[in-house]
Amino acid sequence: MSSRSVQYTSSPLLASKTPIWRSQFIVAVIAAGFLGLVARAAYVQVIDNAFFKRQGTVRFVRTLDLPANRGRILDRNGNILASSVPVPSIWANPEDIERDPVKLKALAKLLGMTGAELDKKLQDEDKIFVWLKRQVDESVAKDIAALKIKGVYDRKEYKRIYPEGESVAHVVGFTNVENLGQEGVELTFNKDLGGRAGSRRVIKDRLGRVVEDIGEMVPPVDGQDLQLSIDSKVQYFAYEKIKESVVTNKAVAGSVVVLDIKTGEVLALVNYPSYSPGKRGSLSGAQLRNRALTDTFEPGSTMKPLVVGLALEKGIVKPETLIQTAPGKLQMGTATITDAHPHGVLSVNEVIQKSSNVGTVKIAMQMQPHDMWEVFTQMGLGQKPQVPFPGAVAGKVRAYKTWRPIEQATMSYGYGLSTSLFQLAQAYTVFAHDGEMVPMSLVKTNQAQVSGARVFSSQNAAAIRNMLHMVTIQGGTAPKAQTMGYSVGGKTGTAHKVEGKGYASKKYRGFFVGIAPIDNPRIVVAVMVDEPTNGAYFGGDVAAPVFSQTVQQTLRMMGVQPDMAVKPQVVTKVEKESF
Amino acid sequence: MSRVSFLLMIAVMVSALYLVRTQYESRSLTTEIDRATNEARRLETENDRLDVERRAQATPLRVEKLAREQLHMRTITPAITQYATVSGGAAVPAASAEVHP
Repeated sequence: MSSRSVQYTSSPLLASKTPIWRSQFIVAVIAAGFLGLVARAAYVQVIDNAFFKRQGTVRFVRTLDLPANRGRILDRNGNILASSVPVPSIWANPEDIERDPVKLKALAKLLGMTGAELDKKLQDEDKIFVWLKRQVDESVAKDIAALKIKGVYDRKEYKRIYPEGESVAHVVGFTNVENLGQEGVELTFNKDLGGRAGSRRVIKDRLGRVVEDIGEMVPPVDGQDLQLSIDSKVQYFAYEKIKESVVTNKAVAGSVVVLDIKTGEVLALVNYPSYSPGKRGSLSGAQLRNRALTDTFEPGSTMKPLVVGLALEKGIVKPETLIQTAPGKLQMGTATITDAHPHGVLSVNEVIQKSSNVGTVKIAMQMQPHDMWEVFTQMGLGQKPQVPFPGAVAGKVRAYKTWRPIEQATMSYGYGLSTSLFQLAQAYTVFAHDGEMVPMSLVKTNQAQVSGARVFSSQNAAAIRNMLHMVTIQGGTAPKAQTMGYSVGGKTGTAHKVEGKGYASKKYRGFFVGIAPIDNPRIVVAVMVDEPTNGAYFGGDVAAPVFSQTVQQTLRMMGVQPDMAVKPQVVTKVEKESF
Repeated sequence: MSRVSFLLMIAVMVSALYLVRTQYESRSLTTEIDRATNEARRLETENDRLDVERRAQATPLRVEKLAREQLHMRTITPAITQYATVSGGAAVPAASAEVHP
């Protein structure tokens, strides 16, 4: 094999003369590339940096909501009537939930639903969030977490707890699952109780810990606590008693209102049937109604003291003035006004004591319709009571110009106008508070004494109180209103219920409004029993005993000294009442 | 000249490392504060919850039920009243009346 030396330096490939500009051109292109990069870097970092900044922020800055606590509702002694506590709510992500039939079956059982119901909730796989069940028990949430199902989570929500339950349900009301008030003072004071949520922006690290605050934090403003004038003990006791009366008298419903006339505070406002605010699964309208404020009825005989009070004020009669009520009937045009049984000559005191319709009409017909209307209005009839409560009604008192004489007559004993039990109780504060109409409050006032607009002179108010006291002693219509240790006074009322266009013949409403202690009044208590069907239906039989027990407990709890020596309960012959 | 530059460079580096350290410390302190704040809030709500629970255990309904059933008590009534009169500075029961309604 022959060899031939190769001269690389004189390779013909190298012989061609490369022009210098080519290498320069390459250098220039690369340099331009780098310049481009520098320019781009400068552009995104200095000139138009918002986009990447935003992208960065999205990845590590979080806005945290700072929820505000809803304020508590307290009774006058600071006992909790409603408070919010955090409870777990269960939610799922249908997109990536683990569909293990055994686990899902166990989950459905824990949630208290059927497998089909659970499947229905999870069927839409496009969704990334569905509530499975809100506000479950802590133990249920723990059991669910123990199942370790992928795609099922819990989150804390606030739930409203009502420790007092049924007795105070109508006053306090309740909130919905979003923590907004739906009924009662929860609704009326929703704004004050609700507070305002705050927020803060933070940087979170990979482990989800907050490492830095950015900007101003907006602190949450917790809702204010609301202290009501209600005394939960009085409330409970009144509730138990009215419940007992409704059950034994086989009635449809009942209500009690207890007012402190010195301070103008509502101590109790009770209705039966009631409901448990925590368990609102199957509520009926009958349970939800706050009858004491929303139901109106014809007040019947309880109007008589108002009319007699006006007659005293106008100087038409004196308590001792004698009135002929025989023969227990009074013809007015085509209508006849009757008493339950004829009484003969009665003093004005006895007209109230025995609840004589004829006597009251004879007094009323000496007065001007305008004066009667004015007193009714001053005592709050036909006007919405100034209590912060949804659905409180005004009742009805027609304009005096439209009154015919027979209507003036029937109104004097409580027919042809309507009022709620609360209004009736409030009207009686005039007699209890020396002739002044006391403004009422459902919120604790911390005032020792309030005064109101004068309706009657204090002598006349005392005279009426004396008549009311006579109702409860021998010869009156409500001896069952007597209570041991305390002197009481009050007026019974029994009214036929209105049905369609007329009065229902066998449906009644019995009620009683009274004051105690009668000489130095502290409270007004009004009791109403709707449609008692177990034989007794007179206010003196169905409502007065509730009044008696409520007064006794309330005054004892308030520390009012008994003003009477204790005697065994006197049961006297009951005077039959007219209605 | 180059010595001054070198010293300055060292100073800048020390300062930079110190900054990193401070930042780190500040962040861990923030985490700590946040954890403590959350804990405080948790305890507060826990306190609220226990308050409600305590109240729920002491409602008149429950108290009365327990008093009646377990302690065999009954509601007081003025029908059973003992009168005491004060004589010679000392209260002695002078008369006692027990009346049942």
